[in-house]
Amino acid sequence: MNKKYNIWFLLFPFYLFSIVVIAFPLIYMVLLSFQTRADIWGVINEFTWKNYQDILQPTYLQTFVQSFKLALTSTFLISIIGYPFGYFMAKLSKKWKKRMLLLLMIPFWTSSLIRLYGWIIIFRTNGPLDQILMSLHLTKEPLRMLYTYPSVLIGMVYILLPFMILAVYSSAEKMDWSLIEAAKDLGATSFQAFCTITMKLTLPGFLSGIILTFIPSMGLFFVADLLGGNKIVLVGSIIQEQLLKVHNWPFAAALSVILMLLTTIMITLYKRISHSTELEGVL
Amino acid sequence: MKKLLSLTLCSIFSLSVLAGCTKTKPVAELNLYTWDNLFPKEVLDNFTKETGIKINYSTFDSNEAMLAKLESTKGGDYDVVVADDYIIEMAIKEKLAKSLDKTRIPNIKNVNPLYQGHYFDPKDQYSVPYGAGIQTIIYNPDLVKIDITGFDDLLDPSLKNSIGITNNFRVIHGMSLIADGKSVNEENIEAIEKTGKKLLKMAPNIRLIKEENLQDDILSGDISVGLMYTSQVTQACVANPKLKVVYPKEGVGFGIMAQFIPVHAPHEKEAYTFIDYILRPEVSKTCFENVGYYSTNKEADQLIDKKYREFLTLPSSLKIDEMEVMRNISNEAMETHARLWTEFRSACGQ
Repeated sequence: MNKKYNIWFLLFPFYLFSIVVIAFPLIYMVLLSFQTRADIWGVINEFTWKNYQDILQPTYLQTFVQSFKLALTSTFLISIIGYPFGYFMAKLSKKWKKRMLLLLMIPFWTSSLIRLYGWIIIFRTNGPLDQILMSLHLTKEPLRMLYTYPSVLIGMVYILLPFMILAVYSSAEKMDWSLIEAAKDLGATSFQAFCTITMKLTLPGFLSGIILTFIPSMGLFFVADLLGGNKIVLVGSIIQEQLLKVHNWPFAAALSVILMLLTTIMITLYKRISHSTELEGVL
Repeated sequence: MKKLLSLTLCSIFSLSVLAGCTKTKPVAELNLYTWDNLFPKEVLDNFTKETGIKINYSTFDSNEAMLAKLESTKGGDYDVVVADDYIIEMAIKEKLAKSLDKTRIPNIKNVNPLYQGHYFDPKDQYSVPYGAGIQTIIYNPDLVKIDITGFDDLLDPSLKNSIGITNNFRVIHGMSLIADGKSVNEENIEAIEKTGKKLLKMAPNIRLIKEENLQDDILSGDISVGLMYTSQVTQACVANPKLKVVYPKEGVGFGIMAQFIPVHAPHEKEAYTFIDYILRPEVSKTCFENVGYYSTNKEADQLIDKKYREFLTLPSSLKIDEMEVMRNISNEAMETHARLWTEFRSACGQ
């Protein structure tokens, strides 16, 4: 009896932390999304559906479509680069695995915002990229890459790729490679063995990689703002604008609630498909 | 042994407490609250040297963050705040600004009356202007084939994918409204919708929408036409004197930055000393030259270096009475602006 009490006591700070830092702001946000904005500043306690109705305007629905499209495209690109990367990394010798892991981690020591400014410098008209391409006579005039959709995609892939690599790597690393040998002994080609064994065993890692890249890419609006010159309008960007410039807090809250609901649906789908309850490779 | 140790620790501790006591001799302080880099370091250092008042410079990123902070401290903690006109109006309405005793600011006579008596503080009771901003068009004549004279010229198809504008719908829609013959502060939803529709035609010309450091992009050649804030125009022109500045022929809107004292400022006396010091012509001059805003100090105008004077003082062709100051508008108008702006930004990315 006494023991149980002790355990509860030890967990108490954690529960308190979760309630104060996670549950309370969430409840506040949901409540806020049903309130009416005040004339000058803040909100008044008047129930309304208006904020959710406003989201249904084509302009705002369009930003959800745009966010979804960008997230889907970048997740696709990240998958085709990240899966082979993680897979082959798991096959390296122990020493090289460590080195590769370190190389993957090093960029995290710098804020992603600062690393994006690096891309801005590279992409600038007559910047390093243009200089190299023109001196190699591959292009005749500046590419004008900055503030275009492709530069946003490159930024997204750059920021999120490590998450996919680590997720795939962690499940490929755990794999029992003798299964492949057994399959080959029984007459399977390398390709057949890959499709029937490796693919299936690394699927949870790959799926969690998709979740880990798709969901943040729905929200990483600063990439689109910085590299896309604010022309690719994502939901996150609207939330920021409504909060800071229009001072329409309830509408910003409603947008956030919908965005979170979409995210929850994604995670539920992931659980259904992969039959797992944990995300693999989460740092 | 243990006793000895605790005795030593105790004595060190009590000594340090005593040492702390001697240090608390009152030092004059001033808590300044504004954007980063709004005052040149030499100006602040000279103030401390001259008056012995130590300045604690705190910064905010946005006017809104400042107001929220002042609300939470109920107008205390800070002694001098510098912010934009519309937010000062809100601060005054919420009774967070102190009514100024002008006899304690003799240098207030130096303020250019053009920038006084505006909507946010009609009787100049609470605030002292620190600088003004005017939205202008700036372009690189080497890269632009047409002669730009007004806002509607930016719709010209020859400017495809070459314009950079500031990410502020009040500024952009405001200029477009003026070009339509309406007010910057238009409340009529139909007129706002109409201007939004017109702007959609400009979308193919827009290469960049950005609030900060837009001058970098016109200097690098990423954009050849820019619609930006005064301080950015000044920096761009100083770096590349070939750039042309255009005051749109349809007229312009402008904004004023001003200093005020929060109602429960802990160091009121120092706050008055600071405001008066900043209003000295030679101090103002240094501020304007470094920060790049329009001079609101008529005595400083003459002192400003020739290199900057052209950008920092109002051209005589502009009549300020014909210019409009941006002010807070109704929630409905604001929401319409925001929706049209989202539509416009999306159209630019197509």
